[in-house]
Amino acid sequence: MERTALAVCEILRYLIIHWKCEAGIPKGALLDGQLAISIEALPSKHLPDSLRCIITIASAGNVDGGLDFKKLLQDIQPALPRLSAKLTLASEEGGHSQDTSVKAPCQMTFEVDENSRSLMTDCLVIKHFLRKIIIVHHKLKFNFSVTVNGILSAEIFGAENEPVLRLSNGISLAVGFQHYVSSKPQFNWTEPHCSRLHPVLGHPAPLSIPGAKANMGLLGELTLTPAAALCPSPKGFSSQLNRISSPYIFLYGPLGLPLVASDQEQPSTAVFRDASYFIDWKKHNLFMLPNLDLNLDTQFILPDVNYKVELPEENQSQNAQGPVLLLFLFVDFQSGVPVHQGEIWGLHTLLTTHLSTILSESRSTVQDSIQSAVDQVLELHHQAAKTHQRLQASLSVAVTSIMSVLTGSTSSSFRKTCLQALEAVDTQEFSAKLHRIFYDITQHQFLNHCSCDTEQHLTPEKKISAQNTKDQHKNIGLEFPAESSGQAENKRLKRSSPNQGREESRTLGPARDLSPPESVTRDCDPTEASLTARGSQTQVANDGVQAADAASPLGGLEDLWLQEVSNLSEWLSPGHRS
Amino acid sequence: MALAPMGPEASFFDALDRHRASLLAMVKKGAGETPDRATRVPSSSEVLTSIENIIQDIIKSLARNEAPAFTIDNRSSWENMTFEDAFGLQMRPQCTTRKIKSDSLRSVRKFALILKILSMIYKLIQSNTYATKRDIYYTESQLFRNQAAVDSIIDDISCMLKVPRRSLHVISTSKGLIAGNLRYVEEDGTQVQCMCSATATAVPSNIQGMQNLVTDAKFLLIVEKDATFQRLLDDNFCSRMSPCIMVTGKGTPDLNTRLLVKKLWDTFHIPVFTLVDADPYGIEIMCIYKYGSMSMSFEAHNLTVPTIRWLGLLPSDIKRLNIPKDSLIPLTRRDQMKLDSILRRPYITYHPFWKKEMEMLADSKTKAEIQALSFLSSDYLSRVYLPNKLRFGGWI
Repeated sequence: MERTALAVCEILRYLIIHWKCEAGIPKGALLDGQLAISIEALPSKHLPDSLRCIITIASAGNVDGGLDFKKLLQDIQPALPRLSAKLTLASEEGGHSQDTSVKAPCQMTFEVDENSRSLMTDCLVIKHFLRKIIIVHHKLKFNFSVTVNGILSAEIFGAENEPVLRLSNGISLAVGFQHYVSSKPQFNWTEPHCSRLHPVLGHPAPLSIPGAKANMGLLGELTLTPAAALCPSPKGFSSQLNRISSPYIFLYGPLGLPLVASDQEQPSTAVFRDASYFIDWKKHNLFMLPNLDLNLDTQFILPDVNYKVELPEENQSQNAQGPVLLLFLFVDFQSGVPVHQGEIWGLHTLLTTHLSTILSESRSTVQDSIQSAVDQVLELHHQAAKTHQRLQASLSVAVTSIMSVLTGSTSSSFRKTCLQALEAVDTQEFSAKLHRIFYDITQHQFLNHCSCDTEQHLTPEKKISAQNTKDQHKNIGLEFPAESSGQAENKRLKRSSPNQGREESRTLGPARDLSPPESVTRDCDPTEASLTARGSQTQVANDGVQAADAASPLGGLEDLWLQEVSNLSEWLSPGHRS
Repeated sequence: MALAPMGPEASFFDALDRHRASLLAMVKKGAGETPDRATRVPSSSEVLTSIENIIQDIIKSLARNEAPAFTIDNRSSWENMTFEDAFGLQMRPQCTTRKIKSDSLRSVRKFALILKILSMIYKLIQSNTYATKRDIYYTESQLFRNQAAVDSIIDDISCMLKVPRRSLHVISTSKGLIAGNLRYVEEDGTQVQCMCSATATAVPSNIQGMQNLVTDAKFLLIVEKDATFQRLLDDNFCSRMSPCIMVTGKGTPDLNTRLLVKKLWDTFHIPVFTLVDADPYGIEIMCIYKYGSMSMSFEAHNLTVPTIRWLGLLPSDIKRLNIPKDSLIPLTRRDQMKLDSILRRPYITYHPFWKKEMEMLADSKTKAEIQALSFLSSDYLSRVYLPNKLRFGGWI
């Protein structure tokens, strides 16, 4: 990572940790505020072919000031070994921010000389860092502006008012697919797909910290919680039979902050270089290789680790790509007592450098946890594909049978009535129309049975989570204004978002094995948010206890969906009979 | 009849004759007679038109952007059954229905299979050929997966179109046997003589095509099990009790065996008796001959013979004949459930003696097979039990 980008990312991470810990925001609650990052670049007077960059980071919103700048310098310096620039508080030397709209109780600045290429890379890395933050902290907004030789370019990063899924580990994940993949032409979008992710949460895997690093004075347990989802999520019973095209792995540390920046050379991801170290892909007939060919210049969130599927020779001609498997790995610290800022910061520093070692120490539990989440997602994908195949086969039989009667009939009035009904001139056209209409109607009906915007899976972590969820719903209902903000909106463009004016919150608890997971819920076109929790039974992580949601009324759609899942199971059972 | 072997002297059949006289009197009054609708067999063109109408409805539904569905009378609910002593179980005119939807994962496959079989039936009728259910299954065995799926769908289609299975040009391979004083001409002109001998004649596959039926039989005995039927043949039961006819459906009767029994009743109006095990499943089989089954109730008027009487083996016979307990079998939980279900059926109230026998079965908690009589003597059944029952009117 470029040094300037690294500095910006570390400062941002420090500030967010500070706000979260020092402002007394409960762990499950979301940070609400705004940060401005501006880079002003002018030709350097000291170095030829270089730009003098003044980087300003300012905060606004409900962010509590009270930042101990000296402590910041003291804490952050070890994380920035290559940054020689002096970090100053704007109040000491006057602000340089171009963004005057932000009332900044806290503003800091540093200056560096960069060549234009490095500056561009810095900007891309910072943007990716911001993208990684906003999918978890969707109430945070970042104004990122760059002025080069007087030409301003600005973007706003935020995911406020976008649909999010609240996981039981306290993380709220933005589930709009647009954060993760392009809509075209990479995927076969002629197939119905859900505009949202439907993650499956794995059970938390306790991590042991290697002896030499363990003496941090932490009282509690370090855990890794995986969440897996397909993107785009095949909707209903889509025919997306393709294998997944590639798995993306995103690493997050305590407080849901990105664990490492987008730098493939970071030692913390070394353990993932062996694609099969934690995940047995062979059981799904997949063979994975690390993919180092990552393009920074993209509008989508970049994974920390990326594999590519090695196709067998006979399948290499397949052009259509399957969905991407997104795997979020949340490393967090569970403690009965409040964890201080310094401890969180220290933990982040530790994980940034020693994640591979820590994960390797607990390979078996990590493997078990990640594998179960991945298995569930892929199994559901496989089942949906099989179901679709059977549906297609049935419709084909129906159409062929109708055609057999029609073509064999000697009744001209019967033939005429049928052809007229479908406005076909001959039996060939009739056949084509019949197949298409049959497919469209039945597929449409199946999709109508799928809804995820009113679905909420409650965490199985019993009443505490249920109460938290209720509280969170309440908070969201009060806090979210009816305004829109898209991801990475460019100020030069008209601000708009496909999710404008839409709110959604759902909660997902960990599920072991093949209990009905959240990921099976489907949504077509979400409209108004429903913040009511629903009663659902989801298999619990470790203790196997099943907890029903006491706080939520049952929705009819849930019944409908459960019925469909039941039908699906029956349909797929070996002894199925019609 | 000249060919009839010598049977018992005429007075032996006094009780039977009196029973037959009462049956004939009942027939004269109109009871026990086949209703008019049973005689109406739709023509091939009518069935073809019915199938075309179904296809047309599906197309129109699709043209309206609506997912098509079949609506089929619910044949598996007692709520849809009505009982008349003269006709047996019948479907209510306004019965509940079930939908076989094309837009439900649960039913889309069945929807497709119904269409598939409808198209096969359409071709069979057009070409005036017949196929067995087995033939249909083997045409697309991978698609149908099992014979039961085909059987069920054919019954559904028969119910949906309200036509007998034969009008669909679907026939079932007969498993039943017939023996005794009966001759007839088959549809193709073959003359069949069911002589009293050690061999029996297979029940024809086209009952409708049987013509010129001739018999002097005093009664028709339906034997539940093939083993008992063969034993009676070996014991020359038909000769000893001549003139008579014996039929077996080898357990639960197939359609042709039931059609044959119905045809023999309609043609000759002779007393019809059943010889079944003294257990709930024997009683169930007897009820199927007499009043029909729920699943085929839509065609009951062509299949039931409500005048059938229960000759044996009665649960009361077990006690009366002092059959030792070690020849008896304890009732299983399943037996008890079956017995309870029969006792709840609407026709049981018309038969207080049947009810009493079944309660006796329930109280004893034991059942007996017909073979239990062999404890008394190997030919006790054919030489003593049945002759006495027939002679002295031991039926209920």
